[in-house]
Amino acid sequence: MSASNAAHSVVEPSTGTRRFAGLLVILYAIITMVPLIWIVLTSFKSPDDAISYPPKVLFKPSLEGYCNVFTTRSRQTQEFIQTLGPPQGLCDNIARSRNMVVAGPSNYVPRFINSLIIAFGSTVLAVALGTLSAYGFSRFRVPLKDDLLFFILSTRMMPPIAVAIPIYLMYRTVGLSDTRLGMILLYTSVNVSLAVWLLKGFIDEIPREYEEAAMIDGYTRFQAFVKVVLPQATTGIAATAIFCLIFAWNEYAFAVLLTSGNAQTAPPFIPIIIGEGGQDWPAVAAGTTIFLVPIVVFTVLLRKHLLRGITFGAVRK
Amino acid sequence: MNDLSTSSQITYRAVPIRPGVIRRIRGLSDQALAWLFITPTIVLLLAINIFPLVWTIYLSFTNYRANRPNAPTLWLGTDWYQSILTDPDIWAAMQVTAHFVVWTVLIETVLGFGLAFLIDKKFRGHGLWTTIILLPMMLSPAVVGNFWTFLYQPQIGLFNYVVAFFTGRGASSFQMLGDVTLSPWAIVIVDAWMWTPYVMLICLAGLRSIPDYIYEAAEVDRASNWRQFWSITLPMALPFIMLAVLFRGIENFKMFDMVNLLTGGGPGSTTEVASITLKRAAFESWRTGYSSAFAIILFVTVFGLANIYVKALNRVKSR
Amino acid sequence: MNLDVNTSTPHVSLTSRMLRRGPLEAIATAIIAAGVVMLMQPFFLTLYSWSFAVTLFGTVMFTIVSKVRE
Repeated sequence: MSASNAAHSVVEPSTGTRRFAGLLVILYAIITMVPLIWIVLTSFKSPDDAISYPPKVLFKPSLEGYCNVFTTRSRQTQEFIQTLGPPQGLCDNIARSRNMVVAGPSNYVPRFINSLIIAFGSTVLAVALGTLSAYGFSRFRVPLKDDLLFFILSTRMMPPIAVAIPIYLMYRTVGLSDTRLGMILLYTSVNVSLAVWLLKGFIDEIPREYEEAAMIDGYTRFQAFVKVVLPQATTGIAATAIFCLIFAWNEYAFAVLLTSGNAQTAPPFIPIIIGEGGQDWPAVAAGTTIFLVPIVVFTVLLRKHLLRGITFGAVRK
Repeated sequence: MNDLSTSSQITYRAVPIRPGVIRRIRGLSDQALAWLFITPTIVLLLAINIFPLVWTIYLSFTNYRANRPNAPTLWLGTDWYQSILTDPDIWAAMQVTAHFVVWTVLIETVLGFGLAFLIDKKFRGHGLWTTIILLPMMLSPAVVGNFWTFLYQPQIGLFNYVVAFFTGRGASSFQMLGDVTLSPWAIVIVDAWMWTPYVMLICLAGLRSIPDYIYEAAEVDRASNWRQFWSITLPMALPFIMLAVLFRGIENFKMFDMVNLLTGGGPGSTTEVASITLKRAAFESWRTGYSSAFAIILFVTVFGLANIYVKALNRVKSR
Repeated sequence: MNLDVNTSTPHVSLTSRMLRRGPLEAIATAIIAAGVVMLMQPFFLTLYSWSFAVTLFGTVMFTIVSKVRE
């Protein structure tokens, strides 16, 4: 065996080891996926199948959960239902088979829209502010730089409930309680710390020579920032934006304490979806599934940058 | 950081077109631009984080109640701090928090490091499986807490069914969320399910940062795999493990959303972690002054740990 | 300083070693950790009562010490 071969075998584990490691990891991955798969399955069950014992893996798929999460229904007598015209759409059909008629859209839709507006609003603001600050911290001599950066990070570390008490009082005083604007500002302030740290990491990696070359060509510093640095940082900005989006999308503590109706997002709403006889599990599962799909997509998109995101840009692989 | 300005000034001197003028404008705008870029963020954080924090500190010395804004506010000094720090109930809440933090961090570290170690063997398809394993930590803790309550239902829940299937106990003979001894473990299980991938990802980075030549040298010295693990792999990955442990510790110390949805602190107060006690005092009893003092105690603890975390972060960064 | 260089050099290095950032930071870290453990330990109520003061002290010390030049 040659020396290079020996060295090679040290770093590269044997096929047997590899297969064994792979087996264990795949086993863990499958076990960890069961709860998620179960929720998706439950969302396609009828209420009876959802609460059957033993739990049903094979069942007749139904869209009742999805209908229930998007609509409100009212119970009617058979005679009344027969006086109505033919059912309008799939959901009406399902509702009528349970002696109900669709009364209108549920509150899930406005909550979902709130989630979208607040998540995107705060992301745009946080990334805009974060990009500027990150560039400032990356390229300029800022007094007390390390302290400012720590201060920015520490704001993210604060316990949400501890922050919520004064925010509640402050928003009540200035009339921002239960408004989308209030939530956008709050989430922006939480996200901007992540954005600054992450983007500083990305911008640090862009060689200064690019800007210097541009400035020699007659660009001002600001023009160089807009026309040279920003295009170079696109990937970083996109990754940061997705991280901010996910945080704002997932946030629950502030949302449940500071909003009650107008500005309530989906996370505090999903748990309180209640059917006629207690919790309507297929509807809850449907609401959850719809809510989780974007996150799954984003996770796949982000997988290369996840490590950076969870270590505030410190570990770059 | 200032080497840029000096170096670019030098380059500018080499430019023939009105070098002095350009340098002066750019020199001015550099410092101005730095502040222009940084100030908005700082102002926002001052308004939404620091001003409220200062207000909380003030409130913590008073008997203010948010549901009676017009009642006269009395200055109480450090009364609330004294009463919280001698209250056996709050102490009990801290111990519930400790149980949660210690066990979740322990389980997540062991599982996470183990997984990272296995993934580092680079079996075929490890990228795909890693992404799948990472999914739970990206989800909303509130939604996770909510759907785990479904899995934990005594009669219909999948978790109970699986446990019953493997142990032979009746699926409705135990309640994960309603039982005094089981509920503290119910929240630990969910948190471990959700956050093991986090520890795994950081440990994986740690393992990948170990250069191959160290192992090659160890092999030349005929060190056993076991020796290599304890004297190379673990020590070299330790800063990364510490980073993950600290962050999970901080996050779980202030855990609110997931526990609030799983148990709401119940049954009784067996899963009442600090944040839930605080929420009850602040938003159910409306004892704003009292809860502000409690919030400051939690905040100082988190702030202290955050200092250590950033130190750990810098150590990892220098690798 | 105006005395012998040979005697003053070890003296300076000794004090600077005592006041270096690294060890002081380690002490502050230990104090913060002790405070956190005191806060959550289940054994003595007295330790719990003093935990906040200890953590606060450690945090303030850490903040000050991190300003000391390496």
